[in-house]
Amino acid sequence: MSQNVLEVEGLNLAYKTVRGDLLAVKDVSFSLKPGESLGIVGESGCGKSSTAYALMKMLPPNTSMFTGKIMIDGENIMDLDESELRRRIRWKKIAMVFQGAMNSLNPVIKVGFQVAEPLIVHENVPKNEALEKAKELFKLVGLPQDFINRYPHELSGGMKQRVVIAMSLVLNPKILILDEPTSALDVMIQAQIMNMLKDLRKTLNISIIFITHDIALASDLCDKIAVMYGGQIMELGSSEQVLLDPKHPYSAKLIGSIPTLRSDKKLEFIPGAPPDLVNPPPGCRFNPRCPHRFDPCDKEEPPLYILDGGRQVKCFLYKMKGLGE
Amino acid sequence: MEDNVILRLEDVRTYFFLPKGLFKTIVVKAVDGVSLDMKRGESLAIVGESGSGKTTLGRTAIRLIEPTGGRIIFDGKDITHLKDENEMKMFRRNAQIIFQDPFMSLNPYMTIREILEEPLIIHGYKDAEERKEIIEKSLIDVKLQPPEEFLLKYPHMLSGGQRQRVGIARAMVLNPKFIVADEPVSMIDASSRAEILYLFKSLQEKYNLTFMYITHDIATAKYFSDNLAVMYLGKVVEYGPSREVILNPKHPYTSALITAVPDPDPKNRFIYRKVISGEIPSAVNPPPGCRFHTRCPYKFDPCDKSEPTLIQVNPNHKVACHLYNKK
Amino acid sequence: MSTLSEARSEFWRSYTSKVGTFFIILLTIISIVVVLTMPLDFGTKYWSNPIYWVDNPKASPPAWINTLMQDKLIEHQIISSNAPAQVEDLGGSYMKQYILTYDFKYSQFPSFLTFRLTNLVFYDKPPIIRVYIVRPDNKLVSILTYPVTVEGLNQTSPNVLFKSEPKRFLLSGDPSLFRALSDFLYKEFNIAYSPEKVSNIGVEKIIFGIPQQDGSFKPLNGKYQVYVLMYCDNRDDSIGDVAMVFGGKVYGLMGTDTLGRDLFQGLLFGFPVALLIGLATSILSTIIGAALGIVSGYVGGKTDLIIQRAADIVNNIPLLPLLIFFTFIFGGHLWVIVFILVVFGWPGLTIIVRSMVLSLKSSNFVEAAVAVGASSGRIMLRHIFPQVAPFILAQLIFYTPQAILSESALSFLGLGDPSIPTWGQILDYAFRNGAVYLGYWWWILPPGLLIIFSAITFVLLALGLEPVVNPRLRRRR
Repeated sequence: MSQNVLEVEGLNLAYKTVRGDLLAVKDVSFSLKPGESLGIVGESGCGKSSTAYALMKMLPPNTSMFTGKIMIDGENIMDLDESELRRRIRWKKIAMVFQGAMNSLNPVIKVGFQVAEPLIVHENVPKNEALEKAKELFKLVGLPQDFINRYPHELSGGMKQRVVIAMSLVLNPKILILDEPTSALDVMIQAQIMNMLKDLRKTLNISIIFITHDIALASDLCDKIAVMYGGQIMELGSSEQVLLDPKHPYSAKLIGSIPTLRSDKKLEFIPGAPPDLVNPPPGCRFNPRCPHRFDPCDKEEPPLYILDGGRQVKCFLYKMKGLGE
Repeated sequence: MEDNVILRLEDVRTYFFLPKGLFKTIVVKAVDGVSLDMKRGESLAIVGESGSGKTTLGRTAIRLIEPTGGRIIFDGKDITHLKDENEMKMFRRNAQIIFQDPFMSLNPYMTIREILEEPLIIHGYKDAEERKEIIEKSLIDVKLQPPEEFLLKYPHMLSGGQRQRVGIARAMVLNPKFIVADEPVSMIDASSRAEILYLFKSLQEKYNLTFMYITHDIATAKYFSDNLAVMYLGKVVEYGPSREVILNPKHPYTSALITAVPDPDPKNRFIYRKVISGEIPSAVNPPPGCRFHTRCPYKFDPCDKSEPTLIQVNPNHKVACHLYNKK
Repeated sequence: MSTLSEARSEFWRSYTSKVGTFFIILLTIISIVVVLTMPLDFGTKYWSNPIYWVDNPKASPPAWINTLMQDKLIEHQIISSNAPAQVEDLGGSYMKQYILTYDFKYSQFPSFLTFRLTNLVFYDKPPIIRVYIVRPDNKLVSILTYPVTVEGLNQTSPNVLFKSEPKRFLLSGDPSLFRALSDFLYKEFNIAYSPEKVSNIGVEKIIFGIPQQDGSFKPLNGKYQVYVLMYCDNRDDSIGDVAMVFGGKVYGLMGTDTLGRDLFQGLLFGFPVALLIGLATSILSTIIGAALGIVSGYVGGKTDLIIQRAADIVNNIPLLPLLIFFTFIFGGHLWVIVFILVVFGWPGLTIIVRSMVLSLKSSNFVEAAVAVGASSGRIMLRHIFPQVAPFILAQLIFYTPQAILSESALSFLGLGDPSIPTWGQILDYAFRNGAVYLGYWWWILPPGLLIIFSAITFVLLALGLEPVVNPRLRRRR
């Protein structure tokens, strides 16, 4: 039995805004084995990016509540202070490729050096050794090794994204979080990058958390999929389970609204808009838009039910199964 | 010209001239020889990646940009280099555009009513009552009901989907014949896209509108457009009925595009998707011959020497590729 | 419009805005009060007219400084009377007697002495005026004998003299008084001083003091009576106002300058002038700059090129030499200064607005307006202008202190309009008259501080407006 490299339990994150407290992440729990990849899928405002930042404990100054357990390699990082996190955890155990990171590369420093920097600064590795490692990483992400001497403006979007991914791997983290890594890229470049990520998984046996609004893209990499809505995980299960037999009405509708090239179906949509996280609707957050809404849905929040095969669904429809949380 | 062709593009070229330094000028050949016909009531999807020229083509088609070469004939009239203000205004009544960004396409300082009234005021609708009627009808058409509730709001008070509908209402208010929709749903949540696209379809049927639908998402083209044109580096490489092109792609680029797009399928993570290497070359110096030859897995002798033209391979299905020239 | 109230709340959040708003309200209120209470031609009619201030002590600190001093400085006093205390019938002629009482209680002597007659009316023969002072030690000093003379006597109507312009006798420099005091000293104290010596010592010391052994004079405190006697032929002859000015060493709320001008009035008048110059300059140059920027950015092409080149050229012309040149030709009038500041102020805004417009031009809602058939003018006005308006407003406020400071600097260099009391003018005059070396702090500090204060007010407002205008600067809540 392999130890979970990541265990998240009851994560809550709220921000202070003009209108009141915004509960961006509510009671989120999941786990990740070594070499496993989890896709966190959801639409705008569902809390997926906030969850990612929470895992790195990179919280904005207006955070008003942050509770729960985040166990990385058996250690609860919620107890650690900032300097500990910086020293041992961030970038070393868990690293993140931010949304739009490829545009935040320093334009006046060669990309090879930017990748090598964490080694030189934090690990006191001598410069040429660090650059050698950078070369290795470039090879890993599919870039020619002599690119270490190029500047960001000399690279295309896809190449820059590979550089950023290389940067995140430089200290050999066990967990890599990717937040919409391909949303700014064309379809074909996206496919190239996804192929590269599949390679990385095999070669490094690294655990990946892949955050995206495109569930089809998640299917391209992820073993497990968590569907988020209104700051909560509505469904969590293996890719096979979630994609082929979605249990939560939202997951089902989301999958149904994706136009498919290779099969025919009636394209679906969900009328309405995502909930206001400052004043969420009472009961289940999806209930105003849910086609299967019935009596308890707007009165209390459904708990997370566990179905056969370890699948979790947050929906009263499954109360009938008689299983508790 | 046949009576039911509403828009004809004849070898349209749109080049951008960018000064570089003191004496040089770079020519960006965004659209480099596109010929298309659109029939009344038809919806045509223009599909391509960034740098394909699709956005420029859309804007050229409704004369937001003046083409550098070729002709645009709209409803029998040559509007390529139309200068007369009145005639231009007449044209604008009949051809409208819907934009990608639901927020940036609406002036944040104007109320919804002002935004929708502006086209009417410009085109001489002096009676306020009449304008109010038209506006309310257009809001109902886009399912923003009750209309009175929306008229006094400002764009930032509406959701993305609602703002996009306002953009559609604005395009509809002058009762146009032809609408260019530039990536109309790419900034809308996936679960709300189909709603907007169904709206387009119903408006198209109700008013016999002609739609030019520009997108990078080839899958939506399958569901919502009659015909599909695939663009690469300023040229149309394949054209035909949407389902036909997608199920039976002829051009190597079209096939590559289709292969690159994943459907939600758990098996995907176990297979490497066949992908064409490299990236789109610059439109300043397109490769000689067939522009796709630098990346094409089927490249052979003529490909880097002469440019292929669109030839018919099936009824209504055309490809520009030397592979089909042998026939 | 909720963005307006949002803007207002964003503006109000910072401390700087509150302070800035408070100051600008203060500035405005003071300016309004000044405009309502002071004559608008104050500058040319009074400030530039030294005669108006002749009765004031020169270069004196403010009167309230006495509250801080042990040894109080002598206060400036004008004692006057408009009705005779006594009328005597001398049989055929009359003697009208006016009495002025002066209570001298300081340890310094008055700085000067002036006798003033206003509105003298006589019917037949011109009267003769004599002035005496009776000291607390009962000694009598003869001050003045004045036979009224006038050319071309008018027999029928009464002669009215000194109505618009009082007759002043600057006793401190009056040779006949020197002679009278020389006699006085000899008669009363047996001291033989020549009239020249008297003028060297100073008439005030002799009139108001007691000579000491060592040749100095000790102030004689107590009540002094000034008797003004008018010998006239007609009973109806009269003097409207008889006054004696006992020059003090302090004066008023803000003191005086070397011409005796009341600095309080001068500085007060400077408020609306500063506001006017600042706002007029910045409003005009902002309007021009913004309009040209919008047109240049939106219309593009040749128009853009021309405007841009013009802006570049104007921007690079050195302002100061040109200002000197223009003031040399046209004279240092306020409107010349404003004109020059406007003509050279617009390019900065044009260049910035143009770049904002260039990026706005490609935004979707502008394209939508074009697609719908809107004319360029309509687009510039309804779509482009509202987007740049907040920035323009902030620029307007930012430019105002620049204008105020420019005017002050110009005045300080002597290029200003000397007829109007601006703070810069006052400072300039102070420096020219050596106020720094002579330690006339009340003349230098107030105008300097006011210039700074007014500039800071606008800067604070502009800083407060910045987060409203530039959303990226907004502090997270």
